[in-house]
Order: sequence, then C-alpha cells, then structure tokens
Amino acid sequence: MDIKNGNMALNPGKFWFALDNAAKIFPAVINANVTSVFRLTAVLQHPVKIEPLQKAVLLAEKRFPYFMVQLKQGFFWYYLEHLPQHIPVEPDDGPLCRKFPRGNLLIRIPVKNNCISIECSHILTDGTGALEFLKTILIFYSEVCGIEIPAEYHFNEPAVIPEEEYEDAYNRYFKAEVPPIVKRSKAFHLHYSLKSYPRFTRLNAIASIEQMKRIAHEKGVSITVYLISVYLYILQEIAEGVNSTGMNKRKKKLRIQVPVNLRNIFPSKTMRNFSLFVMPEIDMRLGHYTFDEIIKSVYLQTKLETDEKLINKNISRNVGSERKLYVRGIPLFLKSLILRMKYYSLGTNQYSGVLTNLGIIDLPAGTGELTDYFIMTPPPPNKLLKINCGVAGFGDKLVLSFGNITQSMEFEEKFLLFLKDQNIIIEQETKE
Amino acid sequence: MVRCPNCGVEQEENANFCSLCGEPLPGKILDSQSFIKSGKLRREGKLLTDYQQLTGFQKRKIFWTISGLVFISAIIIALFIDFVGNQKITWSKYPATVSLVLFINFTLNTFMRKRIILMLTLSFLSVTALFMLIDVYAGDTGWDIKLGIPIILAAYLTVFVLIFLIRRSKLKGLNIIAYSLIAGGLLSVCTEGIIFVYSRSSISLGWSLIVMVSVALTAMLLLYIHYRLKKVTDLKRFFHI
Repeated sequence: MDIKNGNMALNPGKFWFALDNAAKIFPAVINANVTSVFRLTAVLQHPVKIEPLQKAVLLAEKRFPYFMVQLKQGFFWYYLEHLPQHIPVEPDDGPLCRKFPRGNLLIRIPVKNNCISIECSHILTDGTGALEFLKTILIFYSEVCGIEIPAEYHFNEPAVIPEEEYEDAYNRYFKAEVPPIVKRSKAFHLHYSLKSYPRFTRLNAIASIEQMKRIAHEKGVSITVYLISVYLYILQEIAEGVNSTGMNKRKKKLRIQVPVNLRNIFPSKTMRNFSLFVMPEIDMRLGHYTFDEIIKSVYLQTKLETDEKLINKNISRNVGSERKLYVRGIPLFLKSLILRMKYYSLGTNQYSGVLTNLGIIDLPAGTGELTDYFIMTPPPPNKLLKINCGVAGFGDKLVLSFGNITQSMEFEEKFLLFLKDQNIIIEQETKE
Repeated sequence: MVRCPNCGVEQEENANFCSLCGEPLPGKILDSQSFIKSGKLRREGKLLTDYQQLTGFQKRKIFWTISGLVFISAIIIALFIDFVGNQKITWSKYPATVSLVLFINFTLNTFMRKRIILMLTLSFLSVTALFMLIDVYAGDTGWDIKLGIPIILAAYLTVFVLIFLIRRSKLKGLNIIAYSLIAGGLLSVCTEGIIFVYSRSSISLGWSLIVMVSVALTAMLLLYIHYRLKKVTDLKRFFHI
C-alpha cells in the first residue's frame, strides 16, 4: 500500500489507495441495473433543516477525507484517487441507488422531507462504514441545530487521520497457507419475471423491536437468526409451490447470504469494507422443514460459521487469491471479465437470498430525539437474486426494507403475513 | 422556518429559493417574473430549440431524408435531360451511379453507426461496385480490379484501424492527430505501391516514403507531448500491481 504517511488532508490531490479486497469485485460487475450502491436513510421527526445539514456535511467531510475519492482505472487494478469535491447534498428525486458516473465521488446525500439518506458505492465502504458517516452527519446536524452533544461523541478534527481507518483490514488478518474452500452447489432462485428499467423498488415495513425480541427470545434466538429463518421458511414455501424443470430441479438448496461485520470479530477501526458473510442453508431434498427446525438449524449454522478460525479461512482464501502473482499480472480488462464470471459462479449462484442486518443503531440522546427510525436499503439485487432484504433498528422501530426488481410482491407479502401470524404488528408499510 | 413545496425541507426564514432544489419558496414576492417559473421547468427547458432537443440519431435521420431527396431528384433529372437530349442514356449514368453510391453510404452512416464493421464492409462493397460499374461503362479496361479496388481496400482498412484506435483511446487529444497522420502516411505508401505494381509490375517507392518518414516524426513528437508532457498520472499508481 502506497499511502503517504502523515495527514492526508494536508496533501489533497496526493493520496490514493488500492481497492480493498471485498471492493475489487464491484467495478467489474457494475452496470445501470446492478449498481452496488446501497442507501442508509435516517428518518427524522421533523422536516430536514437544509442549512444546518449542509454545514454538518461540510464538517463531517473533514473527518472522513478518505471518502472523497473517485474510481480510476490502472493497468492492473482499479484504484481510488482523491477528488477535491464536496459530497453532494441533492434533492431526492431520481431513481433509488443509481450508479455513480465516472469521475464523480462514490457517495451522495439525497434529502427529502424528513429523510436524510446516504447513497454509497460498495467500492468505498460497507454498511458499517457508511453508518458511521451518517451518524457523524446527524450528530453535527443536531449540534448545529443547538443540541448539546456528550463529550464522548465529539469528533475533534484530528491532526492526523489514523491510518487504521483507511487500511484494508482484510490484509491485516490474512494468514498464508490456509486450505482453499470447497465450492458450494448451486442454490434455488426465485422465478419471478423482471420489471423494466428503472426496475428497482423497495418496500419498507416497520415493526416493534420489543415485540420482535420477545418472539425471537421465546425461540431462544436473536432477531437476525429469527428473520433468516423466516426468510428460509418463506423461500421453502415458494420453492415447494414451483413446478421446476430441468436445471432448476437440481437446485434444491436454499441459502441465505448474511453479511457479518468483521469489526466485531477482528478489532479494526477501518472505514472501508470489512465484512464477510455466513450462508445458512436448508436442503429441500431432505424433506419439508418446519419453522422450528429451520430456526434450530440456522442458529447452529450461524454459530458455527462465525467461528473466528473459519472466518479467517475465508479471508485468507479471498486475499490469497488476489495476492497470487499470476492474478496480479493480468491486465485489468481481462481481470474484469474473469471477475464478472466469478461473481455469478462463486457468488450469486450459491445463494437464494440476502438478509443484511445493521443491528440496533445508537445515537447520543439529543440526536436520538430528533430521529424517528433508520432504513437500510441493500444494493439493487441482480437478475438472479431478484429480491433482498435490509434490516435496521433504532429506538423501538425495526425497519425491514425489501429491495425488489421483479413484477411480483408475493415474497414480501408472504414474509410480512408470516410475521403478522406470529403476532408481530407491522405498523407501517410504504412502497417506493 | 419556511418549507420547500418541492422537496419538503426547511429553509432559513429569509430565503427566497430552496437551497437544495432551487425551487422558489411560497409567499415570497419576486420582482422578476421569469424567476417565478418553476426551477424544474427552467432546468429542463433551458432555452433549447426544437432542433437542439433532438437526439443525434434523429438529427442524422433528418439529414438523411434531405440528402435522399436531393440525390434521387438529381438522378431523375440527370437521366431525364440526357434522355430528352440524346434519345438514349449516355453521360447521365455516371452522375446517377455516383449519386446512388453516395446515397447508399449516407444511409449506412445514418442507420448502422453502432455496427461499425458491417457499415464499413457494406460501404466498401458499394464503392467496389461503383468502380466496377464505371469500368464497365468505360469499356472494361480492367483498371478497377488492378488499381481502384486495392487502393480502396487499403483506404478502408486504414480508416477502420484509425476508428478503432480513436475509440480505444481514453484521453483524446494530440494522439488522435498523430494516429491520423500515421494512417495518412501508410495510405500513401500503399497507394504508391499499388500504382507501381499496376504500371510497371515492380515496387520501388519514392515520394510516399518521404511522406511516411515526415509524418512518422511529427506523430512521434505529438505522441510524446500527449503522453509525457501532460499532467502525468502517477505511474506508480497507474501500474500498481
């Protein structure tokens, strides 16, 4: 890594860095539909005051200079280069999560009514990194609006931005000589037909965290495990109703990709991508699973797969393959071709759905009072995956956001109906 | 606090326009009537004439229609005058054939811009046909096969490579001029070679080599300026491996 030591903010235009291990795949697969752009929204209690927000964004930018970069093409790899522009605060009237054009920053802030959002390319950071940035903006915003912020949340502009915040943390935890992973079989995929462009829509549903927690704890699991189980259960119901023929008949595994924030397992302050995933699965060839059986199985699988050694094995596989000299020496355009194929064969082919849980978000009391709830919208799913789900909790509101590119709402309807049958009240559903 | 009717955010009390979306805020007396027009309309309208709002394809199509009318009427008029004057078709077959081939090429350029290889191949075929026809009109001297078609083939190949290089280059500037110069040089070498083979059945190049050497030197200078003396991308970051 060739980052200059010292204060990056003092040499604008000078710094650049290589893409982190997880980000390397994205430039190869991005197009107008698969944008790899996700959105985090903070819904405030009152309409957004635009001047304080603009001030807050300017303040937050200074704390996160490594987000002010553009994607550039090198000969062997893409890289991120400093772009001396302000992060755009714009009216939220375009399509959701649209692609960032070449030569622009990889982050934007759409604003409308009560909502402050961050749209961010996955090349730049993951959900946790973007959430930190959004929280910083919110804290500055409330401060500008005259709310007292406790000292531990103060972001003083440090003389030197710690290098740890923009390191490729995968590299740090890479261990050489770990056995490669065995390829998984293909998973079942939903069959709905796609919408035309702009095809991405989302459905937000709000539930009570307390209620959800109570029901999950009755089963002895966390909210995430509970929701994964519902996801699998609904997929099973849909898969059993489909008369599959040919290739599809053999795809009898239902798998959910669940991103895991590695900062909780390996200490790192990085603000770039640092997540991997677990893939709980059920095999429909073994017969029909009841909901309780799924919960039990998912619980054990997630416990097993988040084992530190196992995660380390995955990191090593990913980092190891990018470190091989013959991989590094392939010119970029060939590398992109190969990555695009791998994205489907090793990626989307292997799972039927994505559920990403940002967890319960905490804010200082004053800022929290301004905020109603958060929405986590995952990047638009690709044509194989079709539907995904993002979860974010704040206060007592758990927001499920279903991203969908198909003409059918069957999955979401069944999912929410199931929750209602379990006596979970869905307070509000909005479709965009 | 004033709320913007368009994007719903709150503004400073004394604001006239929304600082997010640029819409005028309600309840403000604005002296200039033109500002009251919605910001969205202003942005979209931006004083574009009807012609400016057309897409490139629509513009080309208009051009194609007009040129089609001109060519077809030219062909008809030429044939008519010739026929009335001489009671048979004599000189007018030359302008008629040329006009037809020109029109074919205009058509190709209008509708096949996306499929460059097909377009150039068809265009090449049409010009070949033109040469052959002219040779037939002139009484089969055979110059088309030996001289015309090889030169045209060389020209088309050079143009194709040139287009390919221009499309490939990410940073367009002096390098385009350099490529064009080299293409011109190569074409003159080919032309002289073909003429020699046609007239004397042997190759000894003269003037075209001088052209080639001088354009090559100029092109190298231009390429050097383009790739070296511009604000250089740090080579280390470009080639990081």
